[in-house]
Amino acid sequence: MTAYFDHNATTPVRPEVVDAMLPWLREGFGNPNSVYSLGQKARAAVERARAQAAGLLGAADESEVVFTSGGSESDVLAIAGAAWQARDESGGKRRKVVTSAIEHDAVRLLVSQLRRRGFEVVEAGCGADGVVDLDAMTKAATDDAAVVSLMHSNNETGVLQPVAALAAALKGRGVLLHTDAVQSAGKVPLSVKTLGVDLLALSGHKLNAPKGVGALWVRKGTRLSPVVTGHQERNRRGGTENVASIVGFGLACELAARELEAHAARDLQLRRRVEAAVLAIPGSRVNGGGERLPNTVHASFEGLDGHHLVVALDLEGVCASSGPACSSGASTPSHVLTAMGVDPVRSTGSIRLSTGWGTTDADLERLLAVLPKAVERLRGKVPA
Amino acid sequence: MRPRVLVAMSGGVDSSVAAALVAESGAEAVGVTMKLLGREGVGFGCCGSPADVQDAKRVCEKLGISHYTVDMAELFNDAVIKPFIDAYAAGRTPNPCVECNRKVKFGHLLGLAQAWGCDTVATGHYARVEGGRLLRSRDEAKDQTYFLYALTARELGKVSFPVGGLSKDEVRAKARELGLKTADKPESMETCFVPGRDVKGFLAAHGVAPQPGRVVNAAGETLGEHAGYAGLTVGQRKGLGVTTKAPVFVTRIEPETNTVVVGGKDETFSKGLTATGVTWTGAAPGAPTRIHARIRHRHAPAAALLTVAGETASLSFEAPQASVTPGQAVVFYAGDEVLGGGTIVRGEPS
Repeated sequence: MTAYFDHNATTPVRPEVVDAMLPWLREGFGNPNSVYSLGQKARAAVERARAQAAGLLGAADESEVVFTSGGSESDVLAIAGAAWQARDESGGKRRKVVTSAIEHDAVRLLVSQLRRRGFEVVEAGCGADGVVDLDAMTKAATDDAAVVSLMHSNNETGVLQPVAALAAALKGRGVLLHTDAVQSAGKVPLSVKTLGVDLLALSGHKLNAPKGVGALWVRKGTRLSPVVTGHQERNRRGGTENVASIVGFGLACELAARELEAHAARDLQLRRRVEAAVLAIPGSRVNGGGERLPNTVHASFEGLDGHHLVVALDLEGVCASSGPACSSGASTPSHVLTAMGVDPVRSTGSIRLSTGWGTTDADLERLLAVLPKAVERLRGKVPA
Repeated sequence: MRPRVLVAMSGGVDSSVAAALVAESGAEAVGVTMKLLGREGVGFGCCGSPADVQDAKRVCEKLGISHYTVDMAELFNDAVIKPFIDAYAAGRTPNPCVECNRKVKFGHLLGLAQAWGCDTVATGHYARVEGGRLLRSRDEAKDQTYFLYALTARELGKVSFPVGGLSKDEVRAKARELGLKTADKPESMETCFVPGRDVKGFLAAHGVAPQPGRVVNAAGETLGEHAGYAGLTVGQRKGLGVTTKAPVFVTRIEPETNTVVVGGKDETFSKGLTATGVTWTGAAPGAPTRIHARIRHRHAPAAALLTVAGETASLSFEAPQASVTPGQAVVFYAGDEVLGGGTIVRGEPS
């Protein structure tokens, strides 16, 4: 059995979600845009899911939910869609994109594309605690800014970001505010009313729905230039709806909303035990300060390479992550830790452990049994 | 508990079959591909180039075993590439494969394997280990023990060469039988980090600028000008930039005067040699011993008397040997068994 501690990378699909999806892969295969009743049934299922997703966000109007292929597409639709639209409407005056240095690659790579295509991009830094510099973001959002984007919580460290405060500071400036809330959904309360943002991205597979589905919440009246053109999703996102996945995603949103408190409490309890175990290992530390997601521990160990530790853990049946670049075999310092001013050596000696739905006490016991030994062995290995 | 074996996989057919044989033996096989080159150098076929990593991954998927990549580019640069450049700059002809085996595969990777709870490291080398002794492969034409002499008892207890008992044809047949995509992959013959075998170009690109100098004969008479000695090798005939009636060969490189000494075929022979950095697979011989010595890959081992003094060894051949090349390895054999070896410092002209 594998003890899975990488819920920030992806999550298992809950069995009730699978069950809810199956009819729409079998007999309910109709196109939701068709006239006949087979299509109407599919349409009803999609709209039910839309209400469920709106419910997770406390959105007043479910028509504000646009289904997409996932978090990355939602980010692109929000940021590029807002940037293009605002530039066109302002006669080219609004040509600045303001974001942070610790965003997910979905955002980072997009804004570097936008930079190449004529936008000015400002990336605000963060403190040693991993909290983005609110003041710098606010100051950068001048009247030539088209869109501001700040993630709700960081996927590596789990540090929560001052999105609501940023929204308050930007009020009345006529610039759209987007938040990538992919990592927060189902872990901390998310209310678009309280947050005061214009756009918010969700991903299905981070909250126990399948991969390949997600949503962008778009405040009513917000104009976006579509990225995937077509008539579906009120002209915001073309392509025949991914009915089964949308149904699964909708149910996952409903379950996440309903069970949020219980899950957050359980995750926090697990996190404290993981952190205690990490800190009991000499030469270790937990990265990120301030308020953090209840399920995420980002830990550094002196004298080893995080990628080597991930392999060691895997060989003992524990899944963890050493950062997005780990598949290459290189532990390159994470851009998030670099922005926090963490030195590259400590940064490359880091792993992320994240819990979620389905994490058991037995999983935790396994991790606690394996981790200290793996760290010790890697530190003691024959030097080059 | 079944043993856990790390299989070092280059993405070629030999290590693919090594992995298959480990898996068939009932052990828990763990495939690992080392990334040995920095990002700027991955454009050509090499250990751990993106295409080779993908090949190794496909093979592991087929075999149903885990596969990981590990980045050892920095170590490889320090332990293999830099000494390679330095050796050529000093007029020697280095043997990077020996250093890669010593420091990277059976040094760092073996250490990592132990930290990962692996009992042994297996590679696709053509060699055998029996009872802690390092032996030549069954397929004499493929034998790679010349590059493995630096293994000592410490490593020999923890390594295995699963294809060492097979011929290359048998290895390919096994790969085909298992449907491995590397079955018919061509063999790489070049130094893995030198693109297109262009050693001089590689050296020039790494700060060893060619300095023209004199080509002289044994009597010290100038015969012409060379374009830079780095990259030239003792015994080399072509590319010297001199025209003579009888063919001439490099017999010596003198970096301090930037001079290349050439001579006729007979002048390339040595009656003995001195080697340094000598290591032993078992116990060092206490008294002068009759052995067979190989002075380059595929050289037919020559009978010689071996005398050891600490880490230095001297050999006197029964019959003079051509092109004893400073920087290359000399490996000592007793029949099929590798006793040890070292790095050639100089030959003794006959």
